[in-house]
Amino acid sequence: MDEINWSLLWPLLALQVLLAVIGLFSLRRTEATRGPKWLWVFILIFGNIIGSIAYFVFGRKDI
Amino acid sequence: MRGMWIFSQKEMLELVRSYKLAWIPVVFIILGIMQPLTTYYMPEILKASGNVPPALLESYEMPGAAATMAQALGQYGTMGLLVLVLAGMNSLSGERYSGTAELVLVRPVSMISIVFAKWVAQLILLAVCLGFGAAVAAYYTGQLIGDLSWMLVIFATGIYGLWLLCIQSLTLLFSAFLRGPVAAFMALLSAAALSLLNSFLPNWLEWTPASLPAYSAQLLTEGSKSMGSALTGSLVSAGLLIILCIIGASLITGRKKLID
Repeated sequence: MDEINWSLLWPLLALQVLLAVIGLFSLRRTEATRGPKWLWVFILIFGNIIGSIAYFVFGRKDI
Repeated sequence: MRGMWIFSQKEMLELVRSYKLAWIPVVFIILGIMQPLTTYYMPEILKASGNVPPALLESYEMPGAAATMAQALGQYGTMGLLVLVLAGMNSLSGERYSGTAELVLVRPVSMISIVFAKWVAQLILLAVCLGFGAAVAAYYTGQLIGDLSWMLVIFATGIYGLWLLCIQSLTLLFSAFLRGPVAAFMALLSAAALSLLNSFLPNWLEWTPASLPAYSAQLLTEGSKSMGSALTGSLVSAGLLIILCIIGASLITGRKKLID
């Protein structure tokens, strides 16, 4: 267990990136969000999984 | 019947267009990966956090594969449930506020077909999320911790899923007469109240749907021999609760005046 097994960890990172990318894609397609759009871009990129969930639940007007 | 089919198609389209069928399964898969990983790397995490006495680190015992899988399912009962309820909270009330309800309700369609179509959409969403999530969690647990019986994992996931479906149905019922966030709050509150009551009076309430998570964990750790008639009681009461929710939601949606 001394070294980290990256073959098990990278899917986790890839999925988080995928979640943020889905969020950014939907942000690009949507007309209006709750709160300013640039803020959601920021939250999606730096907010990790919680940021992405927050965008999908609270950011989108047509949930 | 034709109306129900058309509404189901519409609901599926909505799941896709609102990205729910994409982001919620991804969240479930992430949760499923995270639980076995944190269990496996717990000594490292504790060491990295610094102020843990070495004696405690020595005494850390890795939970078995079955216990880890049960914990992973437990994640779906908290974070997963929260996400599912928040995603489903506007399913009926949203139709009123967006104005589609007026367009639909002036036509001779039965309320039950609308509500049932929404429920089917929720069921499909749950099945996709839990199917992928539990499969990934079982794979990671198998790789990192130890062997699992696939049959037991499938049944335990199904039992857990029925509990989640009960709460989704409650969300649907509440969203028939409450605004979205209030409906979500009420559904989560009743889920919490049911589980709390169940943990206080486990012997009296073993037949309620709230016992399903416990049975799911028990099935994983102790095998199928230990399951008694209480499980049957829980399955039946869960089914009844779901049917009541669907009927109740369609009665309320049909009667209630539309809010401006």
